[in-house]
Amino acid sequence: MNNSVDKNKNQIDLPVVQSQSETKHWKSLDSYNDTNDENQLRVKDNEFAEGAENFDINSKSKFSRRKFMGLMSASSAFAMAACTDYRDKGEIVPYNDKPEEVIPGIANYYASTLTSDGKGQGILVKAREGRPILIEGNPQDPVNKGKLESTAITRILDMYDPSRVQSPLKKISNKLVPTDWNEVDSDIIKSLRSSANSGKEIALVTGKIVSPTFAKLIEDFKAKYPTSKVYSYETFNENNRENAWKKSYGSGNFPLIDLEKASVIVSIDSDFLSTDGDVTENVRQFATNRDVDNTESYSRFYQVEGSYTLTGSNADYRLRLTPENYLDVVATLINHFAGKAGMPTMSGYKSLEALAKENNWKPEAIKNLISDLESNKGKSIVLAGRQLSENIHLAVNYLNELIGGSNLYRNDSQRVEAVKLSSNSDMKQLASNISSGKIGTLVTMNTNPAYNMPKAFNESAMSKVKTHVALTEFENETTLNADYVIGINHDIESWGDAKTRTGYYTTQQPVIAPLYDTRQTEAILLNWVNVGENYSEDIYHKYLQNNWESNIYPGLGKSVNFKEFWYAALHEGVVTHSEMSLSTNAFNQASVSGIKPTKKSNYTVIIQESPFIRDGKYAGNGFLQESPHPITKITWDNTAMMSPATAEELGVKMGDMVEVSLNGAVVNLPVLVQPGMAEKVIGVDYGYGRTNSGVISQGVGFDVNPLMSDKGMSKWVYTGASVKATGEAYDLVSVQEHHALDDEFLRTAERKNPEGEVIGGDETFARARKIIQETTIEKYKENPNILHEHAHDVFSITKDFEYNNLKWAMAIDMSKCTGCNACSLACYVENNIPVVGKDEVGVGREMGWMRIDRYYAGTPEDPIMSNQPMLCQHCDNAPCENVCPVVATTHSEDGLNQMVYNRCVGTRYCANNCPYKVRRFNFYDFRDDLANGYYKTESTKVMMNPEVTIRARGVMEKCTFCVQRLSEAKQIAREQGKELKGSEVTVACQDACPANAITFGDANEKGSKIQERREHNLGYHVLDFLNVKPNVTYIAKLRNTDSLGVKSEHH
Amino acid sequence: MSTIDYTKNEVFVEGNRTLKQIDDVIIAPLDRIPNLKFFIALGFTLTLLLIGTVAIGLSFYYGTGLWGNNNPVGWAWPIVNFVFWVGIGHAGTLISAILFLLRQKWRNGIARFAEAMTIFAVITALIFPIIHTGRPWVAAVYLLPYPNQHSLWVNFNSPLLWDVFAVSTYFTVSLVFWYVGLIPDFAVLRDRATGKAKKVIYSIFSLGWRFSNRHWQHYEMTYLILAGLATPLVLSVHTIVSFDFAVSILPGWHTTIFPPYFVAGAIFSGFAMVQNSLVVIRNVFDMQDLIPLNTLETMNKIILLTGTMVGYAYSMEFFIAWYSGSQPEYFTFVNRAFGPYSWAYWIMFSCNVFIPQLFWIKKIRRSIPLMFIIAIFVNIGMWFERFVITVTSLSRDYLPSSWGYYSPTITDIAILLGSFGLFFTLTLLFTRFLPSIAIAEIKAVSEGAQPTHHGEDHE
Repeated sequence: MNNSVDKNKNQIDLPVVQSQSETKHWKSLDSYNDTNDENQLRVKDNEFAEGAENFDINSKSKFSRRKFMGLMSASSAFAMAACTDYRDKGEIVPYNDKPEEVIPGIANYYASTLTSDGKGQGILVKAREGRPILIEGNPQDPVNKGKLESTAITRILDMYDPSRVQSPLKKISNKLVPTDWNEVDSDIIKSLRSSANSGKEIALVTGKIVSPTFAKLIEDFKAKYPTSKVYSYETFNENNRENAWKKSYGSGNFPLIDLEKASVIVSIDSDFLSTDGDVTENVRQFATNRDVDNTESYSRFYQVEGSYTLTGSNADYRLRLTPENYLDVVATLINHFAGKAGMPTMSGYKSLEALAKENNWKPEAIKNLISDLESNKGKSIVLAGRQLSENIHLAVNYLNELIGGSNLYRNDSQRVEAVKLSSNSDMKQLASNISSGKIGTLVTMNTNPAYNMPKAFNESAMSKVKTHVALTEFENETTLNADYVIGINHDIESWGDAKTRTGYYTTQQPVIAPLYDTRQTEAILLNWVNVGENYSEDIYHKYLQNNWESNIYPGLGKSVNFKEFWYAALHEGVVTHSEMSLSTNAFNQASVSGIKPTKKSNYTVIIQESPFIRDGKYAGNGFLQESPHPITKITWDNTAMMSPATAEELGVKMGDMVEVSLNGAVVNLPVLVQPGMAEKVIGVDYGYGRTNSGVISQGVGFDVNPLMSDKGMSKWVYTGASVKATGEAYDLVSVQEHHALDDEFLRTAERKNPEGEVIGGDETFARARKIIQETTIEKYKENPNILHEHAHDVFSITKDFEYNNLKWAMAIDMSKCTGCNACSLACYVENNIPVVGKDEVGVGREMGWMRIDRYYAGTPEDPIMSNQPMLCQHCDNAPCENVCPVVATTHSEDGLNQMVYNRCVGTRYCANNCPYKVRRFNFYDFRDDLANGYYKTESTKVMMNPEVTIRARGVMEKCTFCVQRLSEAKQIAREQGKELKGSEVTVACQDACPANAITFGDANEKGSKIQERREHNLGYHVLDFLNVKPNVTYIAKLRNTDSLGVKSEHH
Repeated sequence: MSTIDYTKNEVFVEGNRTLKQIDDVIIAPLDRIPNLKFFIALGFTLTLLLIGTVAIGLSFYYGTGLWGNNNPVGWAWPIVNFVFWVGIGHAGTLISAILFLLRQKWRNGIARFAEAMTIFAVITALIFPIIHTGRPWVAAVYLLPYPNQHSLWVNFNSPLLWDVFAVSTYFTVSLVFWYVGLIPDFAVLRDRATGKAKKVIYSIFSLGWRFSNRHWQHYEMTYLILAGLATPLVLSVHTIVSFDFAVSILPGWHTTIFPPYFVAGAIFSGFAMVQNSLVVIRNVFDMQDLIPLNTLETMNKIILLTGTMVGYAYSMEFFIAWYSGSQPEYFTFVNRAFGPYSWAYWIMFSCNVFIPQLFWIKKIRRSIPLMFIIAIFVNIGMWFERFVITVTSLSRDYLPSSWGYYSPTITDIAILLGSFGLFFTLTLLFTRFLPSIAIAEIKAVSEGAQPTHHGEDHE
């Protein structure tokens, strides 16, 4: 302040001297003669001196202009503040008593477990200001290792779903009416007591239970109400596999298999990369042996299947075969190896050669299959799908003994069941108990038997149940007939624990207080056990802690005291301990002796678990409904998948309805002509056609439950179906047009350019345009530079921008990517991407920033499928940028192609000019548009990631490389004064990828993985001839086959 | 065949009317109360306009989702309509400016009307760039380079911005040119006006014109200069509109042939539209003498010429696509002709290339009903040309995974109808409020107005 005052003084001193009067004063002769006077000289230098002669600072107002402006703006601000209702800030209330660990703007992560999925996946919940916004895998979880199944990634949406049951409901004169807990509890306790006293059964129907404490609670419940019985079922289960194991080895559970050790995998219709077993672990282990930098131990994978599964699409050799003949394959292999070893063989089966001929397999496939198994004894495994009959599992057990597959059975860990799954006969018993009126109280616990078992749980049967209590998150078919519908907590509103394998436990803690007036299932049961005690919020928490303290903790051999142990366990989410595993008994040869070949008759129906909505449990989840089927790319529907030849035989085409009848049951389904299906096989996803399930899923797809009976080869595979066209048509929507095989024009458009290169035709599109580049291992070994041999030199005519510091880049390893769509779903959750609904997907307006493109090569009978994750390529010469008239899309110095939503006017020129078509336009406010704003309610708003702008209607959006994460990392680095390392930042899709196929980082970071990948021999850019310089490098897929099997094999 | 005297000018004004009679004929529609037919026609066009307005209103309220546009096809009918109407707007300035400079006397009878159509077509076209954006309320502002504190500027690299300048410049110059041409006619109207209001209005617009020699001298010079200014604009506007496509990297759009091809196409469609309208006007207002068959025949010749040029461009595109050896380029063109939109392609090709070839036959060239029908086909064809370029290229570009099919919705159709409604409403009102034929200019080419060496023709 002082300084500035002095300065002013200096400046104004001068005129003051001069302006005393018009008279010129002089001090000396020199001064009078106007020479050498310092003042005089200075005046001359001062350009304003003349005009400022009369300037008198004292005559001026005391207010400086600056002060005047300040006062004026302050007074207008006051005036405006007075005019606004500034008190109306809604519900924003500062923390009166701030939770210790919550800092506004900084996310907290809590370890927990998803117990409701029957898998006990360890999770990390990201919460902002106490609101959970993202579920990620817990890296400590030994099975998932930080990854999750698609259903778990999107499970967050279920918690915020507006149609959750928000309080206990009681049926009064056929209407469900909200009521209070005391009333329901006392009603139900009364009913339980009377059932117990009158000897009527209390049936607890549940899905798979993974919690040991819940198991104990059930025991307590049984003790209190002795007529109780637990029925634990999963529609898709491993009962056949387990039963076969018991027959083959006498005892124990089917072992865990170490796929990392497998050089050769032969899967008999096991969808182990998508639905069968612990998928994330399977994918991780499978991908480990698909490493382009370690071609010596690159595994070879054979898939024998009738339908087309995600797993099959990843096979090196995919042998399409109708399920009746699976046993022929296994038996031939058994005979081959058993014959040599002098072991018992199986007779009456078709040979591989005969099957190859019937099904048009590549001759090299069966030749390689035998020789691979021979030369990789002890390093090969045969897997059988859980949906197959016990017989096949028995034969496969035998085959694994012969080829040394048993070597891959893990002995360090084993599956554990907290509550044993009920057998088929148990479930039948339940059905008959219901229909004969033996059930006094039926409690269904977060499960939907009326949908899964419509025959046993139909309305008339249910009317014989005295009291039916449904504990559920959402209303469903089962709640229709319930007397009490009780809302339960979501997984991340609950306490619990899980144990699915020996060697570790996971813990479950709530991350948010229940959003609604709900309680967790366990607490409700516990309250019914503790009759007479008052309910308190933490009853189950205490029960859990007590159980751990007295029953679990002592056995773990931990040296810390319980309290410390408990908090550490909750913090980590996982408790590991050493636990002995059972050893396997000797193989019982007699178990395979009774197996007979199956005869195919008419059509075969395979009922598959949906990769996304599973057994219908997640049908209400918009993200999962909109997630395209990994093979068919159909969303919001299930279809009757059939081969082109079968469709031709039936005289139907895509979208026609067919009537599938099986043992008198009839279901109508829309046709999806799927290349690569075995002939006369219909594959159909289960879980659709829900009738009472809320806005999202009601009426979506077709219910196939009526087809399911005891008369099949297994519960899920049926032969002898008859299929006929109904003549009706149905609207199927897919995210990819079905041109590649549908369109007669494209199929015949194969043409050659003057150099004789094929430049048109179905399979050549993806290859001629260098979208998909693949090669075989042998060719790559021979010539590591095979991909770039014929590369043309593309150059820019302008000078390129130099990126000297950070430059963000991504690489995707196509050998590892299975096409599971987890990346895309994680992107939906992370980046607040709206669900658009079936109609809008139908007109091509799905909003996903990342998608999995599917391309076929080969023939429609036996196609080769290639998947390709596609997202914004953040091109250096981005064609979208220069065409935007308002500069709404720009390039950052660290190499990001950015969208400025505020500036965007929505000309859509950028999207037109994007060769990758990754830009997505908000044609509507989709949150408002879908089902009258179903996802625009108060609760779903809370789920939004606060770091990511909600895009308005009329603006363009696209992948940002999770710029919010990059900015956060930069900010942290800046605060800590460290250099930001690109390799330490991860993006959402990368975090979600169970195969670790995605690498992200700073292209300029020396020695980083991303740098290595960008210079990899197999690295290529899609459409590189355009010279747009994309920054997503694709690592070409290596196929472990003799030839690529496409006509236009390049190089 | 009879011998033709090539030394004799063709006659473009018949009827041998006196100057007063010419005034009377041209101004007659302005003086009498329109008949019922006029109101029926106006009612019809206003209904179309209302349909379009409602559709645009709904689109503003609910979003562009009401249209058929989807993810590969970001531009569809609104852009097609825009290019179509800008194209229609080409004939007017071409007729009034270029043909003026080339001393084509036959233009005098039709220049005014053609210019008016230019103005109306450009007005109609200008609706689309704004409404087709996702957020029209900000687009209207952000697309202009206005100074602001945020240092936000428009992107001078973007062809869409060039478009904004090109079309607005064209519109401004055309409007001024039109108005300047109208000044002497306003003076005539002023002198004939009986009502007070009319007198005041015409007085203001005639800018004190007194038919003095000096006025005529200044007028001729101004008109000449404006014609010189407007001439390059005729070529530049559609060149720049074509840049919207040519500057992109999309196969089927990224083509150097686009500028001349678009200009030829625009003149083609503009002439067809002018011819269509003139056929109606001359019959309704009994102006057959002022717009004689000779004039229409000359227009048909130009339609034939430009149609052939367009046909050449279509063929050359195919040749280059094959010759380039670029698979995506090649595929795009094969796909146009034989893919899912082949129906649109063949409509375009037949209407624009095959059908106008009938004009080689003199009888057809001079047959009013036939020329009318052919010109309608030309405009259908030219609308489809823009559809084919815009939609088929977008629907199947580089990544086959993203290909999609576009179908218009009822809203799209309503907006297209609305654009016709607006255009014809303005046209109808024009015929009632302004002279449809330039009175001063038509007098200059009527028989006996100019000295000639054919003494016997001189009265």
